[in-house]
Amino acid sequence: MPRAIWSGSISFGLVTIPVKLTGATRSHDLAFHMLHAKDEGRIQYERICSVDGKKVPWDEIVKGYEFEKDEHVILTDADFERIDPKVTHTIDIQEFVELEKIDPIFFDQPYYLEPTKTGRHAYALLRETLEQSGRVAVARVVIRTKEYMAALKPAGAALVLDLMRWSNEIVDPSSLDLPEDEKMPSAELKMAKMLVDSMSVDEFEPEKFPNRYREELLAIIDARVTGKELPKMKKAAPSRGKVVNLMDVLERSLKETHRESKESKSRRRKTA
Amino acid sequence: MAAERIETRVGNRTLSLSNLDKVLWPRDGYTKRDLIAYYERVSGAMIPHLTDRPLTLERFPNGIDASSFFEKNVPKGMPDWVQRASLPSPGGTRSKITYVLCNEAPALVYLANLAAIVLHVWTSRVGSIDEPDFVLFDLDPGEQCTLKTLTIVTLAVRDALVGVGLSPLVKTTGGMGLHVVVPLTNGHSYEQAKIFAEIVARHVASQCGELVSLERMIAKRRAAAVYIDYVQVGHGKTLTAPFSVRARDRAPVSWPLDWSEVEAFKRSRTTVPADAFAKYTIRSVPKALEEQGDRWSGRSWKRAKLGTTIGRARKLWR
Repeated sequence: MPRAIWSGSISFGLVTIPVKLTGATRSHDLAFHMLHAKDEGRIQYERICSVDGKKVPWDEIVKGYEFEKDEHVILTDADFERIDPKVTHTIDIQEFVELEKIDPIFFDQPYYLEPTKTGRHAYALLRETLEQSGRVAVARVVIRTKEYMAALKPAGAALVLDLMRWSNEIVDPSSLDLPEDEKMPSAELKMAKMLVDSMSVDEFEPEKFPNRYREELLAIIDARVTGKELPKMKKAAPSRGKVVNLMDVLERSLKETHRESKESKSRRRKTA
Repeated sequence: MAAERIETRVGNRTLSLSNLDKVLWPRDGYTKRDLIAYYERVSGAMIPHLTDRPLTLERFPNGIDASSFFEKNVPKGMPDWVQRASLPSPGGTRSKITYVLCNEAPALVYLANLAAIVLHVWTSRVGSIDEPDFVLFDLDPGEQCTLKTLTIVTLAVRDALVGVGLSPLVKTTGGMGLHVVVPLTNGHSYEQAKIFAEIVARHVASQCGELVSLERMIAKRRAAAVYIDYVQVGHGKTLTAPFSVRARDRAPVSWPLDWSEVEAFKRSRTTVPADAFAKYTIRSVPKALEEQGDRWSGRSWKRAKLGTTIGRARKLWR
C-alpha cells in the first residue's frame, strides 16, 4: 500500500472529512549515479566558498537573495518563520466551479485522498455531489511548509486533490507569434476535418503509447548486466527526402502533361 | 466419349457450354457449372470493371489441383462477337498480342466455360491504353503478418490518401492481401501513377515503421510486415479483377469492401488475413452483392487529378 504523505481533513461549512493523501502518479525516469570512470567511485559534492576556497560547514551557511547583480540581502530563519503558513492540516474548500472552467494547464500534481474510518460516508457524499453537479472544489491546503491552491475532483471511486499552479506561473501565450486571423478556405478545413475523422478513436487508450525510450534503455541495461548482446537499434524511419524529391519529379511531369494537352488543344483549334 | 454440350442463351447470344459437371474445386465439390453460374450472376456488377481492359486469363481446365496456364492471346475458337484488342507485346518485341475484352455478360460466361477461373485485368482501358484509370496499392502480408498488422497498414494507406482529398477504394485480392485503388481522371501516365504510389507508400512506410516493407526481394522482407507493392502498374501489368474467383480452396472471390469492414478487422479474433477474407466465396458473394451492391460502383468511383493532390501532399507530408 502506498504510504500517506499527509493526513488531515477536508473542511467546508461545518463538515470535516478526515483523509490521508497519497501520490497519484509516479515517476518512471531511470536514475543514474555519477561515477569516476577510472575506479567507479561515487562522485560527491562539497560546499566550497568561492571567496576563500574552503569547505563550508552547514552552520555557517545562510540564505541570500540576489536583488541586484552580485548584491545580496540575507534572510534569517526568523524572517522565514514570520511568513510560514499556519500548518492547519485542513483542505479548506473556498468555492465550487465547473471543471471545464479551469484550464487544464493549471493542474500540476495529483494526489489521491483516502478517507479514514470515520470519514467514509461524508467522503462518498462529497464525491457523489461533485460527480453529479459536474463541479470541482477549489481549496487551499498547506503541505509541509508550503501553501497551495488545489482542485478537489471526483475520479471513479476516489477523490483527487490536484495541486494547481498559481496564476502568475502560467506564461501568457500573447508573447508568442501565433497565426490568429488566418483565413481558412472551407475546402482545406473540410479536408483536414476528414483526416481528423479518419484518425479518430472512441476511447483514449494511453496503453497504446508505451514509453519506448525507457523500455529501450532498460533493454540496454539488462544486456549489460547479463552480458548478453546489445539489442538491435530500431532503424530510423526512412527519410522523407526521397518523398519530397519524388513530389518534384511528379509535379514536373504533371505540368508537362498539362502543357502538352493545352498545346494539342490549341493546335486542334487552329486546324479546325 | 463425346463431351456433353448444352446450348444456352445469355443476353442476346447463344452459347454452347461443355463438361458442366467437371469438378474444379475437389475439396469443395464446386463444378464448372458453379463457376459459370457465379460469373453469370455477378456479371452486372463485374462487367463495368472489365470493360475495355485487356485480360489475362488464368485457366484450370482440370481443376485447381491440376496444371494451369496463363493466356493472353485470344483462346482458339472464340466467337467473333467477343471483342478483342491488338496491342504491342509488353516484351518490347515487334510482335503483337490480341487480348480478349470482356465487355458483356455472354463473354464472361464464355470465359468461365473455358475454366478461366481467374481474370487478371490491366489498369488502363483500350482507347487510352497508356493512361491508367486508377493508382494501385497491392498490400501483400508476409507469412507471419497478422490481420491486425495488415489492417493497420491498410488504414494508414487510406488515411494518407483521404488526407490529401482522395477517395480510395479497397477490395480483397481473393488471396492473402488487399488492393487499395485511387481512381484517376484521364490524362495520367503510368509513370505518374507509379511515382504517386511510391510517394504514398514511402509516406506510409515512414509512419508505420517496421510494419511495412517496400523491399521487392521476398527474402529481404520481414515475414511479419506488409509489403506495399506500388510497381504493379504499367503496360501489361495486371491485377485480379474485382469479383474474380481465385483458384484456392473454398473458391474465394476478390470482393470490394466497405472501409468499415476493414476497420472491423481490427476487432476480429482471426489473426490470419486469408482466413478473414475466405468468407467471400462464389457461394456467398452473389447474395452479398444483391444485398449490399458494388462498393466500387460508379458513385463511389471518384476520379482524382494528381496535380491537385500533390500540392496538398506537399503541405502535409513534408
